[in-house]
Amino acid sequence: MRLVPFVAIMAALFPAGSPLRAEETFTPGQRVEGDFDGLAKGFLEKHCLECHDDLTTEGDLNLLDLGPVDETNAAVWKSVWAQVALREMPPEKKPQPGVVARLRFADWIVGELQRALADKGGFHAHLDPKKANFVDHDLLFGELPEGIVLKPTSSPARLWRLTPQEHITRLNELINTEPPYDPARPGLRAHGDTVPTNHGGELKLYFGTDNILRWEGGTVAYATAVKSVPVVLSSARKHGFENYPDFYSVNSAEATQILGKAEDILQYMAYGPLSLVGVPEQITDDPKTYDKVKPKGDLRGLPTAIVYSPKFLRPATPLLDLMREDAVLTDEALRTSVAYLFEALAFRPPTAAESDDYLTLVKDSITKVGRKDGVFMGLSAIFLDRDALFRPELAETGEPDAHGRVMLQDWELGLAVNHALRYLKPDPGLRAAIVEGRMRTREDVEREVRRLLADDAIRKPRVLQFFRDYFDHDLGGYICKDNRALAETGVPIRGDAHYLAMFDAAASTDRLIEIILEKDRDVLRELLTTRQVVATETDKVYFGRKHTAEEKKAALATKALADAAAKEKEDAALAAMQEEVAALEAKVKENPADRATGKALDWKKKAFEAEKKKIEQERRRRRDDVGVEVALADLSGSPEFARVSRPSFGAGSMKPERVLATVPAGERFGLLTHPSWLVSHSDAMDNHAIHRGIWIRERLLGGGIPDVPITVDAQLPAEPQNTLRERMRVTREKYCWTCHEKMDPLGLPFEIYNHAGLYRTTELDQPVDGSGEIIGSGDPELDGPVKDAIEMIEKLAESERVEQVFVRHAFRFWMGHNEGLHDGPVLQAAHRAYRDSGGSMKALITSLVTSDAFLYRTVER
Amino acid sequence: MNTIDRRSALRRLAAGAGAALGPAAFSGFAHAAASSRASAGGPKRIIFFLQNQGFDPSTCIPAGMKNSGSLAGVKLPEPIAALEPYKERLHILNGLHGLHTSPSHSAFFGALGGYRGGDGVPPGGATIDYELSRVLPETLLPHLCIGMDSMENMNAKPTVANLSASGAGQPIFMHSNPNHLYEMLYGGISEGEIRRQHEARSGLFDRMEALAAAKGTSLPTTDRQRYGQYVAGFHQINGLRERLAGVSDHLRQFAPVVDARYTAPEFETDWHDALLDLGISALKSGITSVLTIGSGRGEIFGAWKGLGIQEQGHNLGHMPQPDNPIWIKIRQYNSRMLVKLMEQLESVPEGSGTMMDHTLIVYTSNNADQQHTSGATWPVMLLGNCGGVFKTGRFTQFDGKRPINALYATLLRSAGVTVDRFNMSEKLAAKFDSSTGPLNEILA
Repeated sequence: MRLVPFVAIMAALFPAGSPLRAEETFTPGQRVEGDFDGLAKGFLEKHCLECHDDLTTEGDLNLLDLGPVDETNAAVWKSVWAQVALREMPPEKKPQPGVVARLRFADWIVGELQRALADKGGFHAHLDPKKANFVDHDLLFGELPEGIVLKPTSSPARLWRLTPQEHITRLNELINTEPPYDPARPGLRAHGDTVPTNHGGELKLYFGTDNILRWEGGTVAYATAVKSVPVVLSSARKHGFENYPDFYSVNSAEATQILGKAEDILQYMAYGPLSLVGVPEQITDDPKTYDKVKPKGDLRGLPTAIVYSPKFLRPATPLLDLMREDAVLTDEALRTSVAYLFEALAFRPPTAAESDDYLTLVKDSITKVGRKDGVFMGLSAIFLDRDALFRPELAETGEPDAHGRVMLQDWELGLAVNHALRYLKPDPGLRAAIVEGRMRTREDVEREVRRLLADDAIRKPRVLQFFRDYFDHDLGGYICKDNRALAETGVPIRGDAHYLAMFDAAASTDRLIEIILEKDRDVLRELLTTRQVVATETDKVYFGRKHTAEEKKAALATKALADAAAKEKEDAALAAMQEEVAALEAKVKENPADRATGKALDWKKKAFEAEKKKIEQERRRRRDDVGVEVALADLSGSPEFARVSRPSFGAGSMKPERVLATVPAGERFGLLTHPSWLVSHSDAMDNHAIHRGIWIRERLLGGGIPDVPITVDAQLPAEPQNTLRERMRVTREKYCWTCHEKMDPLGLPFEIYNHAGLYRTTELDQPVDGSGEIIGSGDPELDGPVKDAIEMIEKLAESERVEQVFVRHAFRFWMGHNEGLHDGPVLQAAHRAYRDSGGSMKALITSLVTSDAFLYRTVER
Repeated sequence: MNTIDRRSALRRLAAGAGAALGPAAFSGFAHAAASSRASAGGPKRIIFFLQNQGFDPSTCIPAGMKNSGSLAGVKLPEPIAALEPYKERLHILNGLHGLHTSPSHSAFFGALGGYRGGDGVPPGGATIDYELSRVLPETLLPHLCIGMDSMENMNAKPTVANLSASGAGQPIFMHSNPNHLYEMLYGGISEGEIRRQHEARSGLFDRMEALAAAKGTSLPTTDRQRYGQYVAGFHQINGLRERLAGVSDHLRQFAPVVDARYTAPEFETDWHDALLDLGISALKSGITSVLTIGSGRGEIFGAWKGLGIQEQGHNLGHMPQPDNPIWIKIRQYNSRMLVKLMEQLESVPEGSGTMMDHTLIVYTSNNADQQHTSGATWPVMLLGNCGGVFKTGRFTQFDGKRPINALYATLLRSAGVTVDRFNMSEKLAAKFDSSTGPLNEILA
């Protein structure tokens, strides 16, 4: 089959409208019965072939011989599905099919693609969160047309694979003790927060860093010597939401690695830093005692370079007693360790059968390889238990109702509620509710959710993860920048400075989100419009304004004068000191026995060298002075803290200190104007107006964009003399514009920032053009031109539709699947809860988590 | 690729048919089912050897050789003099660049990925060694990574992941404890403690597979496939062990002897040698088609006390390499390893020639030319012509405008994959690559 451009594929798919017939009813989510001849052929003939047949192959597409869905034509059918579901086709000017006819046809295609590709890896595109907006927003939140019959909603029975963050936080609990929540400094990372990425953006589990007293060498030497293991469970690093219940499993490479790391973790649980060192003398309160026995030579980068404190700082676990030399390995002792580990990893106690299974496994291993190795080997199997890697929601107990739904209960319900908010196992209150039979009703769930949400000391990293997935503000450090292009933005480019600044920026934005969540009023609007920022010292550059050419010239001239003045002063100071040295030297020469003068000379010489060094440093700093390129932002404010990594890079580890400042009006307006978001939606050399536009289209307007046709050569011309806006003229070709008009005019308003996120008034020495337009938003009030990103955000932040789209995304995140039409009542209730509470995220989450979609599972019995 | 046929065949092989087959037949068998491409030439296996701290071009380019030309009649520099007898199969490349990989202090995953790397920076995509392992003739363990470091580091962290990746954020670990690797590869044919450990672990995996399978019996239809992958993961682990055990007679010919170097090493180089032996055995026995060797494990440290080098770690990288006795020793040690690889692969018949006739060795550094580098030039030595696919006996000086990604795209081409670029968007290529497609200078 020919590959054809698709933008024009559907140009004449649907020539004639088909008003709904009264007898035509449709239940969304139910399989649409019918074969190609009975269901699709007529639809195609009626709505498509006028433009896509032998005579009129619009878009070079002929659907005349498309035929039933099969393996070879699946790609075309998938595109037909997207265009029909998104109401892209038939074109606006053509008569439209009725709502039910369109829905039925789209659902039929999905069903047929699932059937046709069942043994070819399956068809899953409709489960992709990026496709969730294929469901018509107005049908979800507006009046349903006659003929659509909704069934009571539920979610499918399923297994959720753990996310990498959840998994590493679980493992971290076994070997590291995290500080309790400090209400006086709520931004500091505390027990229950996720294990953050390190200085380079890598998610790693660190061993024994709390005990490290001393190491040799610099930051890289530390990072090499310290024991750490990267996260094993995989996930794609990309924009948007993930679907862990449908798209992720655990492969053999991951299983092998988990098992290997499990034994390291178990050994650390038992022996602490002793499991990391070459000789026991490395564990001491007095590092000098180690100096007497440590290996000779350069130890930098070696485990032997580290001295650990003997303080017991890791969690006390039954492994400690179990592995004591004099411990007797009774069944009871082994069972205690099995139970502890199982609950630590699967978040519930083992059943009697599970306990027996693992006890047998450990004992068998001991028999084969001896006590020590056998215990570690046998217990390591628990790390790969199904429920240590997946969270089951199978609803195996309970009778299905008339719609085939069973309500989750006890551990499954308790863990579902826990997972909605937390990465740690259920807190004592929730655990008690589960084991005492108080997790069986909607009221039980509401009680626990409200309790958990009300207590700041119970950390809820899943809520923050939702906002990371929603805003995608945490990807900036992973965008590889071209050094020259980066230098032109005005930010420092020495070493990894920019990347560190971006990882810091993600943590700062996280903290700002939390501050807004703490107030819990008009949360979305605040996020979109706040002028507050959480910032580091470096952010004075990133939140600064790029100088125009004239300003730069003036700044350079000022700097030259200032440098010259400073140099003169420094030279004079040095000369004076040198004179003093010379005078003292002369005195000493005259009277070598004058010890006091000799001492004074030594002191003066040292002071002279120190001053020289200080001046050299100051001159280096002046060379890097970004004030020439950038008008630095005034970011003064109250102290704040951000949740940054465990000590991953020694003295160079990320620092939590921040300020809560206010940025100037007219330059910044909410998270979408922060460098963290802007850089996350940029590329190596420039802004990414298309990504930014897609973000606005999908996350705020609830629109969908079909996949890029594979015939598209998606390249902008390489014209350094032209602005991005000018280079994007190629997307205005008729073939491209059908899709690009949904993105480009929404992304180009952000051209008032450069690709490092600095505000700018000129681009290539011309006034910057930040104009854009909201087109086809679905809300006529919103549509129209905008002057720049700030004006666009002002409009969007006031929109009820935008609020509803936000609720849709929250639904996807907390339910673990895309919304269907039958979820409309849940979405409407959640939106009402949000509105009625004055924009409370807590109210929104509570509404979602107590909904049928969260509580009920459809089961196959 | 007909995986099912290949698996059935492997089972037959495991059942005894393999006993009569030589190693070349074993490897070639998988090859025959794998791809029709192989009959047209190209590598059947590729070895990547990355020495850390940089590879100064003047330590490999013959003195006075400024321009591209034949190596015939010139003398190889002292550090790589051991390769003199193999000059006709050597191609020295200089002037490829890795400016975009941030290679100062090591590009880490970026060295084989051709993207920005750095300490603590997770992989941005799959690396070339992994990609090749997917397209070369399938073997039981398509990709094996070994890492050589100081004794302390290899003991404390027997597996680390710095160089290879199967995708963005998906590092591949390298093995550094030869005892563990031996147990994994040859536990089934060992005796004593190794055998006990192997059997215990096999029993554990069997039991875990059974437990996992039991918990999947009542899953919803929609989850069965996904959960099936998880159970299949255990099956694959067990399967590898079983398949290795099943071809034990075959493997026995290649398994190294576990001696004091493994159990009581005097120096770290004893383990380096043992790891190399295991890597060679995996290639010779047909277990593996891609071997990645990380000498210094992709970081900026490492030790070679067994060569009489007392200095270790970061300072080694601060020394200029040319005429430096320390670096001459390290490079000579690398060269001897390369010779050993070639000799060993040459000793095994394959088709009408030997295994080495279908093998390519890529020797370079994860730090380009030196430890503190911009990556403006990234020297590489290729060994082997793979049935005449690669030009050899030459030195080629590039103009510094083509990236290491172009070399990797060339390797993929040689393995039958039609690509013009590797891990480089057109946008980046506009800045970092003056051309497109393979490096014609290295293809015959």
